Amino acid sequence: MSGPTPEERALVDRISADSLTTRRDYLRIVATVSGGLAVGSTLVSAGVLHRHGDGTAAPLKVADRLAPGEAVTFDYPGEDDRAMAIRLADGSLVGWSTVCTHLACGVLWRDNHAEQDGLYCPCHEGVFNARTGEVTSGPPPRPLPKVLVVEDEQGAVWAIGTARSGESEEAGLCRGLRERDPALAERAGCGRRS
Amino acid sequence: MSYPPEYTPSSAEPRLNRPVPERYPQIRATSGYADPRVRRTGPGPGAGTEQEPERSAMLTARVAVAITVVIGQLWALTVATNAWMAGSTATAWWCTGFSAASFLVVLAAWRIGPRDR
Repeated sequence: MSGPTPEERALVDRISADSLTTRRDYLRIVATVSGGLAVGSTLVSAGVLHRHGDGTAAPLKVADRLAPGEAVTFDYPGEDDRAMAIRLADGSLVGWSTVCTHLACGVLWRDNHAEQDGLYCPCHEGVFNARTGEVTSGPPPRPLPKVLVVEDEQGAVWAIGTARSGESEEAGLCRGLRERDPALAERAGCGRRS
Repeated sequence: MSYPPEYTPSSAEPRLNRPVPERYPQIRATSGYADPRVRRTGPGPGAGTEQEPERSAMLTARVAVAITVVIGQLWALTVATNAWMAGSTATAWWCTGFSAASFLVVLAAWRIGPRDR
């Protein structure tokens, strides 16, 4: 099979020397990207993304007993909302969504680390404070959403509600109550906005 | 009658004495080098270069403006996503409004001046 003729080579050379994408083409491409970003932003605001660890559910018993330094994982409030209850060394009980606020990897409990570095996301080395949920280091943009956990008289641990990143426990409880039973929320002193 | 005949600046035929625009309506005052219908000079001084360099610079500026605005939209999308995930739906909608307005700016930068090359 013979190769390209000199005329064909010259044509290829001529075509490759030309700028095939003009500035008007670039403008059209940039305008298309811009429209896509505007549509994407609309979808995000309309709620197309799943807000991890958010919502309401019936109280869930997650452990019969939890010793200091121990943690238990569970799904709350939905089956896709991975969460963890931790008994810190001083005996206090905390609960967090373990879906990283960076790119939704699983967050792990490190009981051999200091409390402020206790929760660790191995995907991009995000670290959260196990007591407050705040970001200690790494790329996560928000604190971990909270899962409200309480202990009953027998020492069993229950998950009873959620609070979004940076939201107070009371605000989270009131929001959940308003979604389930607005009249009861009103009687409990939860206004329209807490 | 002697030869050559004596010159007189007109014709014996009256229709040929009409003004030039009437006799030759296709010839304009600018016919020739400055004919407005001639869009390209052809080979010669300046051949192959930009015919309207100021329009070319405007097109480059429009591309630069559009890219800058799209970078702003990317930033707005991250803010909107973060705000929505944190529960601040109103902030997310404000960012969407910003993004839509930015899109209109890019659209204007694209559609204005279609003759720019």
